[in-house]
Amino acid sequence: MRPRHVGQRVPRVNDHGPLHGTGLYVDDIEVPGMLHAAIVRSPVAHGILTAFESESVPGSASVFGPEHLRARVHAEVPVLWTIGDQQQLGTPLVDEHLRYVGQPIGIAVAGSRYQAEDAAEAVDLAIDYLTPVVGIDQALAPDAPLLYPDSGTNVIATFEAGDSAEHDRAVFAAADRVLRTTLRIGRVHGLAIEPRGIVAVPEPRRAPGNRNRITIYTSTQTPHGVRDSVCEVLGLRQGDVRVVAPDVGGAFGLKDHIYEDELMVVIAALELGRPVKWIEDRFESLLATTHARDEIHEVEVAFDEDGSLRGLRVDGRRNVGARLAVFGGGPLFTALGVVPGPYRWESVRCGGRLVATNTMSTGAYRGFGQTQAALIRERAVDLVAGELGIDPVDLREMNMIAADELPYRMRTPIQLDNGDYRRALRRAGELIAEAPAPPDDGLARGVGYCSYVQMGGIGPSDANEAIGLQIGGFESATVRFEPDGTVRVATGISPHGQGLETTIPQLVADELGINPGTVELVHGDTDTTPYSAYGTAASRSIALGGGAAVVASQRLADKVRAIAAEMLEANPADIELGNGRATVAGTNVDVAIADVARRAWQGFRLPDGSDPGLAESYAYEPVSATFSYATHACRVAVDTETGAVSVEEYVVVHDCGTIVNPTIVEGQIHGGVAQGLGAALMEEFFYDEDGQPLSSTLLDYHVPVSESMPDIRIEHLQIPSPHTPGGMKGMGEGGTNGSYAAVVNAVCSALPDADWSDLATPLSPSRIWQALHERA
Amino acid sequence: MNEHTIRLTVNGENAEVRVEPRMLLSDLIRHQLGLTGTHVGCEQGACGACTVIIDGRPQRSCLVLAVQADGTTVETVEGVECDGIENAVQTALHEQHGLQCGFCTPGIVMSLVAAHRAGVPAATAREQVLDGHLCRCTGYVNIRAAVDAAWEAAGDRRTGYRQENLGQESHRQESHGQESLGQVSLGQESHRQGGSE
Repeated sequence: MRPRHVGQRVPRVNDHGPLHGTGLYVDDIEVPGMLHAAIVRSPVAHGILTAFESESVPGSASVFGPEHLRARVHAEVPVLWTIGDQQQLGTPLVDEHLRYVGQPIGIAVAGSRYQAEDAAEAVDLAIDYLTPVVGIDQALAPDAPLLYPDSGTNVIATFEAGDSAEHDRAVFAAADRVLRTTLRIGRVHGLAIEPRGIVAVPEPRRAPGNRNRITIYTSTQTPHGVRDSVCEVLGLRQGDVRVVAPDVGGAFGLKDHIYEDELMVVIAALELGRPVKWIEDRFESLLATTHARDEIHEVEVAFDEDGSLRGLRVDGRRNVGARLAVFGGGPLFTALGVVPGPYRWESVRCGGRLVATNTMSTGAYRGFGQTQAALIRERAVDLVAGELGIDPVDLREMNMIAADELPYRMRTPIQLDNGDYRRALRRAGELIAEAPAPPDDGLARGVGYCSYVQMGGIGPSDANEAIGLQIGGFESATVRFEPDGTVRVATGISPHGQGLETTIPQLVADELGINPGTVELVHGDTDTTPYSAYGTAASRSIALGGGAAVVASQRLADKVRAIAAEMLEANPADIELGNGRATVAGTNVDVAIADVARRAWQGFRLPDGSDPGLAESYAYEPVSATFSYATHACRVAVDTETGAVSVEEYVVVHDCGTIVNPTIVEGQIHGGVAQGLGAALMEEFFYDEDGQPLSSTLLDYHVPVSESMPDIRIEHLQIPSPHTPGGMKGMGEGGTNGSYAAVVNAVCSALPDADWSDLATPLSPSRIWQALHERA
Repeated sequence: MNEHTIRLTVNGENAEVRVEPRMLLSDLIRHQLGLTGTHVGCEQGACGACTVIIDGRPQRSCLVLAVQADGTTVETVEGVECDGIENAVQTALHEQHGLQCGFCTPGIVMSLVAAHRAGVPAATAREQVLDGHLCRCTGYVNIRAAVDAAWEAAGDRRTGYRQENLGQESHRQESHGQESLGQVSLGQESHRQGGSE
């Protein structure tokens, strides 16, 4: 039996760079003749720019204002998801109508970053002020100022999901009881530790037709998507643009497209014929890198006295900011699509509204709405349990879809694949019950649960089109033996911390019977990798990018067997691959796979039907989305005097299908849990009533530190996906989706006498104190 | 703008450079000396990614002007020695999967190396030194495991030194600042069961 590498804790192959200072992040790139840029941004939340004067700028710097930039623009910056009656399909690269603080309106370029910032500050702006509108309620008020006066409303789109109004009313009327609650989901920032950045390098040599090829190094999770947008907005030919993602210092959904300020850098580089670098500072990042969430949900749950969940109603409003982010209202649409979760409901009816305000866009962030969906549902479930006096684990279990009921179509109507949701729930309940008893210290304690299903592996392409998402859902790979027998796997996914440089080779090595150390992942360069609209995002990479690599490797293995059989004078069906050798089954007759590779590239005496060379490409179109799932359970301690919360115990029982590398899966869970915990307890981006950002430093926007994070006990279930080659389901976002609701539920459970009827996250000490002492 | 000539030792090599008074040490290190292993995450002194060791003390290089570093000895992640605690920290972070995107990692390496050299016990490193760094990928769980593993490994090599210090009164850090940790003298080391564990 040949050794299996899938499932092993193979050490990561790409740790050396950061540990020893030899990584290459975008700000590490130096190009001869390179200039540096700074962005001129709107200082007001709402106004009309009437003048952009650069007379005071030193002559050594170049400044491009709105008119100059507009002359290079061929199309609006695209919005790739059209939902419901959505009006806004794209936005101008530059717009004199200023709609949020931080909106880019010009760019200054100089010999150093310091000089560029001086130049940007020297630009004089004249602005006619307009009244800003900041919050959802304010934007929906009858007399609210309008961001887009022509549309007559601040509502960008409305949509529905799930059952008909008639069915919903019938189910609610037939149920014994109904509970209502309001959930306010705070605005958060994904906060990759590396800010955004870009180096645009036009080639001095002109291509035929006077086209300059340009290479764009940028901190992105989707190089091909960036190229698509650059070419669309600037009217460039795709072959003339190369996008390279070097080492990327975290993304979490923030770096899933090109931003207006980055496009200005590209324009400046093309105009000047010089390389131009722009590195976002943290202040800019907090102001003008996509925010997330900022939603209000009115939730109603219908149930019977015996604990049966019957109906769920959600009216969701999302503050999308001043303009739609690249995936528009996708996060709210997704939230309402998966909100039924792992339970049986007779009816689920949801409505969504996208609301424009004078704030930064809210867009993709780890979980992409599924984090909010988990809170909506799991709060509702806990409210029912509390109302009926039923243990929250028991209530969940009695309503949970059983293993033999899968596949199961949710009412929204997305189909769940397979698994054993109840087993994860029961085991998490057991593990949290086994946690050491808390000390008798006077703190209030509570245990919270969250059971969720996590849509990953999103596709197929036709399903994307059907919901208005204008990108394909497939992933591709090219697996290629080099003549020396080493393997390179070119992929469209674009890892930036997920360890795919380690895990994809594990998958490929098993199919080819070789050591993963001889397999290298090629990624992050549009010149050398197959097209991928997503890059690495949406819990898709190992399920779909991995799936494509598995199938390409299987086809490549067939060719290795055919050539080896010719060399060994055997039948291809009798050739086994393992330990780097092709062996005739049951014999000692073998040949090194490296020798097979050399022969394939020599083209000598290949079997009939085999072309020279040894490489296979495959574009994997998924048949269905995958659903990983878990139950998270945690115990918190709350100081009722101060409102401070400590998460003491944390357990996760989950299934993400085949686990390629348990260490990496656990690392993904750890990081996801931290981000959900942060949103539950401390992370919130504030604006004042004038739309001025109040969270403009990392001393004002709090993310978890080590002290905030408990150790986490993880148990893996492994029920392979019935759909994906290799059986992986994807799991990059699950940790976040489970922890947010589990921590909120634990705090509510610790403080049963507090007033949670209008619950807002994060549950900061002040909010907890108010819930305990002011509203009760 | 007027420039100043400063001299400093970086990773054992003498450097003489001309800098504007406003230039940050982090920019000097990265863009004039080409040592890009030191990362800049916030320029607000909050994230810790740019931490380097200046005259033995871990400091955020984004909060130091280059001219302030005149006459100092600076160590960056490129220059830490490849044996002893330096290697133990790097090896442990790798083996315990204590990094994902790796952007915060160099600063964490430098703080941990400085803390260990200063005799900070594992518990304090785990619970206080790490709180000076923001990591968005790992949830810190595996970084804490790496601290324990590194101290274990390096401690093994310094058994004689540890023995001398066993039994001493444990030292609790009153300040969360990294600089004060750098001032802990070797004699103040507590054994691993001490401190705030």
